[in-house]
Amino acid sequence: MAYLTQPDYVRYICTCGQLKPITSLYFCRHCLKIRCGFCICHEVDSHYCPNCLENMPSSEARLKKNRCSSCFDCPSCYHTLSTRASLVQPRQQEGAGDGKVENKHQKKMYYLACFNCRWTSRDVGIPDQPVASGGWPERPNPFATQINQLLEYYKAIALQEKQEKIEKERKKFAIRGKYLTLTDKTGLTGAMARNIAGLPSSDSGSSSIIAKFVPSQASAEVEELPEDYFTKEVNLNQITSMPQRLLSPEWQPTDVSRLHPIAKLLSVKRSQRCRECDHNLTKPEYNPGSIKFKIELLAFYHIPEVKIISYEPMKAGENSTVLLKLSNPTAHEMTLCLMNPEDIPQVDNEEEQLESSLEKSLTLDKESAPCKPAAAPAWRRTAAPCVRAVGPPVRVAVPQRDDAAEYDDDATHDANDVIVWRKANKLGVRLQVATEAGAARGGAALLALALQYSYRNTVPPAANAPNQRNHILYTTALLSLGNVA
Amino acid sequence: MALYEGIALIQEKQAVVLDLGSEYTKFGFTGEAAPRCIIRSQFWCSTERRFKKVYEYSTPEELYDNLVNMLHLLYFRHVLVNPKERKVVVVESLLTPTLFRETLAKVLFTHYEVSGAVWADSPRMCAMTLGAPVTLVVSLGAREAEVAAVVHSCVVLRAVQAQPLGAAAVRAELLHLLRQDCGSDLHLPDHVLEDITVKTCFVSPRARALRWQSDSPPEPARGVRYPLARLGAVCVSGRARELAAEPLFRRDNELASLPDIVLQCIMQCPIDVRRALAANVLLTGGAASLPGLRARLSQELAHLCTLPPYSSRLRLGEFKFHRAPAHDMSCAWLGGALCGAGEAGGGAGGGRLLSRDVYCRERRLRDWVNLLDNTPPHHPQRDHLDLTL
Repeated sequence: MAYLTQPDYVRYICTCGQLKPITSLYFCRHCLKIRCGFCICHEVDSHYCPNCLENMPSSEARLKKNRCSSCFDCPSCYHTLSTRASLVQPRQQEGAGDGKVENKHQKKMYYLACFNCRWTSRDVGIPDQPVASGGWPERPNPFATQINQLLEYYKAIALQEKQEKIEKERKKFAIRGKYLTLTDKTGLTGAMARNIAGLPSSDSGSSSIIAKFVPSQASAEVEELPEDYFTKEVNLNQITSMPQRLLSPEWQPTDVSRLHPIAKLLSVKRSQRCRECDHNLTKPEYNPGSIKFKIELLAFYHIPEVKIISYEPMKAGENSTVLLKLSNPTAHEMTLCLMNPEDIPQVDNEEEQLESSLEKSLTLDKESAPCKPAAAPAWRRTAAPCVRAVGPPVRVAVPQRDDAAEYDDDATHDANDVIVWRKANKLGVRLQVATEAGAARGGAALLALALQYSYRNTVPPAANAPNQRNHILYTTALLSLGNVA
Repeated sequence: MALYEGIALIQEKQAVVLDLGSEYTKFGFTGEAAPRCIIRSQFWCSTERRFKKVYEYSTPEELYDNLVNMLHLLYFRHVLVNPKERKVVVVESLLTPTLFRETLAKVLFTHYEVSGAVWADSPRMCAMTLGAPVTLVVSLGAREAEVAAVVHSCVVLRAVQAQPLGAAAVRAELLHLLRQDCGSDLHLPDHVLEDITVKTCFVSPRARALRWQSDSPPEPARGVRYPLARLGAVCVSGRARELAAEPLFRRDNELASLPDIVLQCIMQCPIDVRRALAANVLLTGGAASLPGLRARLSQELAHLCTLPPYSSRLRLGEFKFHRAPAHDMSCAWLGGALCGAGEAGGGAGGGRLLSRDVYCRERRLRDWVNLLDNTPPHHPQRDHLDLTL
């Protein structure tokens, strides 16, 4: 949980160049690369109401404008409204029947109330409903007819334009068939024939709409302020604020008495997809109440995690020691090597580029699609590391994650000057680092640490692909070690 | 033929309309009467731990990140659709900086992979909501007042006028007046000033405004005690309520007040549309909702027409005002929704649509200030320009 509240002391460099803590990174098992929220493709997976946790199919959600039909928000304080029941006695004839009969006639009526600000649907004159959920009156848009007229008009114009264009094309490439038609023989065009016969022209639908359209009329009279405006007391509680108005963009009420309950906006579950190989990185379960995933390729489960235990104050031009905790989240033993970022071999990259260019030429439409959204060394802009590891690269083997190992007492003690302690899939490492002589006092001491790690790919390989299961992968992490003293 | 078109219409995803204002963002679907959401143009920036406005940027990269975050918020929190393979209508001011346009295009096409986008300018879109052939669009935004003449859905570019007379000017004046009343150390955040403006301020008629400048000011309107979250309350005097919008009408030697730029715009238009423009004024934009603003503008225009720089050159007759079928704030958005229903939505008239593969080839947007786009095809200079294509 410390991840949520603490600042990010250890940030990994994503393939796209962004700096992110390990908890917000993904790992694509198919391209064996780290991805982050910036360089993956988000997709809407399923719609649900965040209040009643009811699933809604996307076609229905589209029809209902992404609003839940049974949950409402308070238009005044945006809290969720609750349905309240009240017993009402139907109006009776005077002196008719006795008490028992009256009780039988008692009916439950429902209204909406906000428990936070005490707003109720009765305040604004919405009649109580006989059913508990749904059935609340819907308000039409005040400008609906005018807008529909405009829509029809512009659609008709677009259609006419299109027809004219087609007509032009046809005239350009008049392909004469083998057979003479009646119109060819007589020199009549279809339109002329229709005209002579007294029929309406063929595109009468759109042109009549255009002809019938009445544009908005301007008027010289503009509404003046009412006379009593200068003497009237202003009651701030009766005027809505901007957020209250904008909550219902269609009506934007200025008066508190015109506020209406606002149907709850749906939420979506998102699935994430790798942009390069189009495989899913995460896919949530369909049930809105469940927080589990069907597919969950988080970096937290695949790449070694680095945590800072302690460090000596960094002094410009001097060496100091950092204690790190490394853990292996995978189910296979991992060899880890800590080194400087410039030691990462570049050979792999070229091979991959060759491969991807081949891939690109195979799928033509992909070629035009630029997948990398940002420039690669984006992290260099924000942070210049001034601390680097010294000495020979630290190479350690970290055992696999084993849930049963927790119960073992006897931790293996093979401690030396590099490995401080070892426990299950974690180990403590002592690392010698040097601060640059030119580092400014008080500036952030950032250590760039490259991790080389072995990774066992557990994806069943495709039939024609070479069955390569063990990979050597590289990643770089930026550790913030306080300030330069 | 008709049958296939029908199927295409069903399969075509409804396009979205984006109006990224400097204060509020309007976002929704084409063919609908109102935006799905109107939210502040800001997002939660987790690295800086504060709400960050989209227009707060110093480098193109920062703007790119801002736009990515903002569009993510719009697509996945408010409108709940996949941005991929969906068309977008972008409603923008004619005076949007090139960097902003190009970065927005880059974000839409490369990051969100939309299939096509229409760039629509807001004056033309506002005029579309009326259907009138000639319209003078006076749009009072958050920062600027822009006046543009739209003649048969063409903007008269040489006559476009803009001055920093938007809601921000009203707010600044309100703070100035409140400081005069309550002491100069008064500090109010922007959203409080906005709320005070929205709830209490109004524009008085011309006759009354003149009396404020004379020696015998009129009886001020009632003052309001506006409660603040922590500091108790601030007293908003009737004078502050009334005079906050005066900077829009304050004239100086530069003739840069709101009615002045309206008349200057008309003056620079072709002579045969001037009367029609005056008879078809559309006042829109968020700041236009101030009570009394329309009436005051009408009175000021009628008065200014009789004064020297205009009286000799303009014979305009009566000024007439339109009412758009939308709220002042979402008028340009509605135009975009109407335009998109004709173009992007139905697939008809796709000439104005910039599709993704075309963008990927050229990597630039058409712009009215760009010589590549505004040189006629047979112009002698044209050949020298086509080098890049």
